Amino acid sequence: MDKIQLIDTLPNVFQNRTDVVSDIWNQRVEFEKGKLYLVEANSGTGKSSLCSYIFGYRHDYKGQILFDGEDVRNYSVSQWTDIRKRHFALLWQELRMFPELTAWENVEIKNKLTGHQTKEQILEWFEMLGIPEKLNAKLGRMSFGQQQRVALIRALCQPFDFLLVDEPISHLDDANADIMGTIMVAEAKKQGAGIISTSIGKHIELPYDKVFNL
Amino acid sequence: MKLVWKLLRQHVSIPQFMGFFFANLVGVVIILLGVQFYNDYQALDQEDSFMKADYLIVNRKIGALSGLTGKSNAFSQSDIEELGNENFVERIGAFTPSSFNVRARFDVEDFVKFSTEMFFESVPDDFVDVKSDAWHYEAGNEEIPIILPKNYLDLYNFGYAQGKGLPKLSEGILGAMKLHIEIAGNGHSDNFMGRIVGFSSRLNTILVPESFMQWANAQYASSDAVKEPTRLIMEVNNPTDERITSFLQEHDYETDEEKLDASKTTFVLRVVVSIVMAVGFVISILSFYILMLSVFLLVQKNSSKLENLLLIGYSPAKVSFPYQALTVGLNVLVLLLAIIIMCVVRSYYLTMFENFFPDIVAPGIQPALCVGVVLLVVVSIFNIIAVRSKVMSIWKRKE
Repeated sequence: MDKIQLIDTLPNVFQNRTDVVSDIWNQRVEFEKGKLYLVEANSGTGKSSLCSYIFGYRHDYKGQILFDGEDVRNYSVSQWTDIRKRHFALLWQELRMFPELTAWENVEIKNKLTGHQTKEQILEWFEMLGIPEKLNAKLGRMSFGQQQRVALIRALCQPFDFLLVDEPISHLDDANADIMGTIMVAEAKKQGAGIISTSIGKHIELPYDKVFNL
Repeated sequence: MKLVWKLLRQHVSIPQFMGFFFANLVGVVIILLGVQFYNDYQALDQEDSFMKADYLIVNRKIGALSGLTGKSNAFSQSDIEELGNENFVERIGAFTPSSFNVRARFDVEDFVKFSTEMFFESVPDDFVDVKSDAWHYEAGNEEIPIILPKNYLDLYNFGYAQGKGLPKLSEGILGAMKLHIEIAGNGHSDNFMGRIVGFSSRLNTILVPESFMQWANAQYASSDAVKEPTRLIMEVNNPTDERITSFLQEHDYETDEEKLDASKTTFVLRVVVSIVMAVGFVISILSFYILMLSVFLLVQKNSSKLENLLLIGYSPAKVSFPYQALTVGLNVLVLLLAIIIMCVVRSYYLTMFENFFPDIVAPGIQPALCVGVVLLVVVSIFNIIAVRSKVMSIWKRKE
């Protein structure tokens, strides 16, 4: 997948609003593989909705979202499964982890499916992000900031053309945010992938190709 | 998959599944036992493999004076048609008697020789339950297939042989022996070999294939000797039907009451077994309902986990698999246990049967196995589809 296009996309709930001023809603927007994007938003402007639409989780919008020119509304279940497994990694704002499993198991459940990363690589990331001792801790017992780091590692355990990170550093200090940015960019470069990051306020400092105001 | 199962087994309610397991076990055991018991009973009843239980043989009552008055005890064509038109009759056929002389000689181990005058009768071939190649006669063949009444064998074994100290004969030995038959009439006389196909306890006549009878009557009977049948054979759809008894009384016909009773017993047994199996079936359906409810509850409780798995790239098929495997596994376990229980119970009642009927050969358990496997497959397919559609509803719950 090389290109994501949004054509006159607007959440259904915004349909009757006349005051929508946005770089994305009701515009023609293009995200290209290999580039870095930042989407800045105030709360209530539909940031999580945007992520859900692009990821095929929700479809309550009007207008079009195209992957390489194909309308994703026509995607079949198996196409979406393939997209989520091989082309599109998403770090959810609400993480969507499994608190019953350990940090390691949370990563492993994804890596077992894709077989993409080596154990050494995963352990190295745990090390880099300062949570190696949490490897076998139940995820439910970890702080949100720690969980965020595990969620990023999980998101990277798959091949992708785009990495979409929804408020990845909302609970992280600047040092950890920088490490996270380094890992993300390195991994994206390796695969020639694009990164779309969102934030309300705090964002990772990266050489963004384009910044949108939602 | 191990991790997925670790995740999805959360909220699995052991008591609920135990409830399903035992309820379904009871249902399946009842169904399997019903099928197997009926099948085993049929094997007992199949003592006479040549005549089905629903066949009745009808003749006119012979009164004290009928011989003197010269009134015929034969059935006319219109009598047969009248009976054939009754609702309770499925099929009707006439006994054709031989109109020639038959003499049979039978040698046992060289030193005993029986020789007797006898007669033949035939009924339409489709009333005789013997493989067609064994019950077949071509004009001019030397060998004639014969079915003898079992009484004859009993008379010899328990009367004659007992008294004279002669060896007793089994059906098998007799079947291997040859019967020398001499047929004479209409100026001809020929020798034939009789091959005993079997013994019938339901039929007290000496039965030959209809094709032989037609040929021999044409060959050896004098032309004016066309006789009307004195006995009829009929298949009835329900031997307990009151109309049969009243019709027979009205027309002064009679049939073997004992046979009618045996048919009644079989019929009643069939009804009872059907009811019992229906109860088993209802129990099974209800237990299936319990299983579906607890699986749905489980899917509901774990819906966020299932959704997250779908969102990290697990396909609906992969996410459905653990619960499908769980339900199908339970079904298989129930079937295996049910078969074991059925076999244990069966060995008890077979011992009882064997006390009454020492030579009974119990049939296999294939009928129960077949029913069990069919049940398993049908229920499992339902389970698999239900789980899958439940997972798909989670997939679609995005709007």
